[in-house]
Amino acid sequence: MNSSSSFLAGILWTSLLAPSVAAFPQEQNYQAALAKQSSIIFSGTVSQLGAASFAGVPTSPQTIVVRVDSVLKKPPAVSLKKGDNVTVEMKDLSGFQQATQAMFYTDGWIFGSGVAVKELGHEIIPSGAASAGAAGASERARSEIQKQSSDQELQDRVASADYVVVGRIIEVRPWTVPKSAAAPRHITEHDPDWHEAVLEIQSVLKGTKVKKNKLVVRFPGCIDVAWAQSPKFQKHQQGVFFLKKDAVSGVPMTLLGGSKVDTYTCLKSGDWLPLSDEARVRTLLKN
Amino acid sequence: MKPLARLSMRLLAFTLLPLIAGTLFIEKHSPFKTGAVAYHLQSPGTQSGVFASPTSVKLVDLIPASLSGETNQDSEPFLAIQTANPQVMVASAFTPNPVSASGNAPVYVSQDGGNSWVLNAIAPVRRMTCDITHAMPTGENHPRGDLHAGTLACAASITLDESESNDVSSSSVMNVQSTRTNVDQPFVRALGISNSDHIYVGLNDFNQPHGHTATIDVSLDGGATYKSFSIEARNTAGQDGPSVRPAVAADNTVYAVFFGWRKFDGKTATSDIVVVRDDAGGAGSNPFQALRDPSDKLPGRIVVKRTAIPWSNSPTLGQERIGSTLSIAVDPNNSSTVYVGWADRGSKGDIYTLHVRRSIDRGLTWSKADLPHTTISNATNIALAVASNGVVGLLYQQLSGSRWVTHIVQSHDGFVTVQDLILASVPADTPVQQFLPYLGDYDYLLSVGNEFRGVFSANNSPDLANFPQGVTYQRAANFSTKTLTDGSGNPVAISIDPFYFSVPVIP
Repeated sequence: MNSSSSFLAGILWTSLLAPSVAAFPQEQNYQAALAKQSSIIFSGTVSQLGAASFAGVPTSPQTIVVRVDSVLKKPPAVSLKKGDNVTVEMKDLSGFQQATQAMFYTDGWIFGSGVAVKELGHEIIPSGAASAGAAGASERARSEIQKQSSDQELQDRVASADYVVVGRIIEVRPWTVPKSAAAPRHITEHDPDWHEAVLEIQSVLKGTKVKKNKLVVRFPGCIDVAWAQSPKFQKHQQGVFFLKKDAVSGVPMTLLGGSKVDTYTCLKSGDWLPLSDEARVRTLLKN
Repeated sequence: MKPLARLSMRLLAFTLLPLIAGTLFIEKHSPFKTGAVAYHLQSPGTQSGVFASPTSVKLVDLIPASLSGETNQDSEPFLAIQTANPQVMVASAFTPNPVSASGNAPVYVSQDGGNSWVLNAIAPVRRMTCDITHAMPTGENHPRGDLHAGTLACAASITLDESESNDVSSSSVMNVQSTRTNVDQPFVRALGISNSDHIYVGLNDFNQPHGHTATIDVSLDGGATYKSFSIEARNTAGQDGPSVRPAVAADNTVYAVFFGWRKFDGKTATSDIVVVRDDAGGAGSNPFQALRDPSDKLPGRIVVKRTAIPWSNSPTLGQERIGSTLSIAVDPNNSSTVYVGWADRGSKGDIYTLHVRRSIDRGLTWSKADLPHTTISNATNIALAVASNGVVGLLYQQLSGSRWVTHIVQSHDGFVTVQDLILASVPADTPVQQFLPYLGDYDYLLSVGNEFRGVFSANNSPDLANFPQGVTYQRAANFSTKTLTDGSGNPVAISIDPFYFSVPVIP
């Protein structure tokens, strides 16, 4: 568990969940893992069992209605605030009754006039623990969760990349699938309209040394829905590039300075970051 | 504020509707019927059920209140109506999973005839589909199910899933029944027969040999097994156009229309508009060969020969791309009558022109020219449907000046006389596109009882002047200030939303 996870778990546990109970490392790990998995985290008070908070949500013995006391994590698009009623499909209802207070680690389920979520985990808050002082702790926990989620994404991105490099695009050119390719080009609205960017490498953060300090990055030039999230590169563009060996275009080699070289892709949103993120990436790579 | 906005909006709509409608009617019709009416229709194109007859236009922004903060480009909408209970509907669009990049793509579900919608992440694709269509024939009698979907997942490769849900409000992800790569634009129609669903998926299948890519996937067992049939019999320019559209009648007649690409130069596809038919629900070993063209005796009747279809995968019609809008509809009570609509280059000066033709002899012969009032310039997203009384509906979106105008046209006499209602007239230059398609490569129209129901996508500015028939927003909106909010009072940028509508069928 990294330091931020420990910090988060510590805040959640000591401030909200169990002011009179010691936080064991095992429990902190559990909470940190839950926080990473969860898209929506909130504390709340159970108001109904076997019910739903809005039409369109199927009720079952496992669904409960919870009045939100504090929201610690949610995507920006989701409208959820203190006082809202949320339907939670519980995995484990033991210990729950009306007026039970708990921290809910959840994933989104149904979105209508209200929010319904699926429980990934929970921590029951002992009676009287949700004191006024917990509000400030919630705020700290909220920002820590956001930072931690962002770091986790970055760590995953680094882990799945063949190369992580800092560099600058020195050339951009269209690339057409050659007629000799195993899979011929088809005309569809999802055609990626491949382009190649020649990347001059300033430093390699992950991966082996690169010959002549240049790599070719193949990227979709089209703005079709299938490729809309993929970074589009321009000459002189700088940044941190998370590269994978090209397994998409069908022809994973190209010519660079007269030599055949491997091509790389950088297809997901976030696979390119501005130079302002370089220090953050370097810090994560050290840990 | 939101209830007040709704109330004022409704009052305004109530006041303005007769005036606006009066100016839009090319021919006036008698008042719409009211009261409960039972319908027992015979076609999946026209859904059956018992419900209150609509008395006015219903238009609903599908984005739920709990996602008021979203600013996605929710384009390319589609709609399925459950045959046994038309109160249950499923809609879709390019709407991402609202909470997770690794979560399933969502669909919109209504259980109250379209008054309210929820978003449920049950599509078998991560985050967001890059094509989705569906149908709910309910041959297997699931009260909230038998949703059959064709979805494309666009990760490293484009993968088709043909899948089913028995309960669209459950948390269970749709069950994938068939999957393969290298296809485009699945378009699902279905027919419930006794205890099984017959499913027809039109698609452009690049796995087919000889460039005969126009294909229908047929399942006669609720999706448990599929067979793929190329419906192209002629030489192609290496492939056919992306759109392959089936239409199914209750008497087991299945039509399909496709763009038979004969030449392609990168900017224009020289294309035949080809219709095929099968009289046994696609059950034979060589289906879709009932129609042959007199010119070459090959399967597939050529409705229009070698028309020029502009192809542009960049903003061309306003912020929209063009190249493959196509629709077909069959009369639910008379499968001999079938309509086909498409867009091509049209006359000089037009970017993209819609056309509609009709056959009244099971596709053997077709109207030689466009039906009256159906040559429509600078328009796209054509969708046709035929109601149980034979009235044909035509949905389309036209770039008119600097606005996208969404029309629903009805006619009981092959468009000689028409009722033309404008559902939305919104700014075309805002919001700036996030990707293509801007509004969609298609929208959709169905008939159910004495309603036409459909979906389209449009700029979501909460401005009553944009919606002449009135509108209901589920998401937080202030119609006085014409602004969206996130539910906590914070402003939210304008974006493209999917809209559901219901319009009474003219007598």
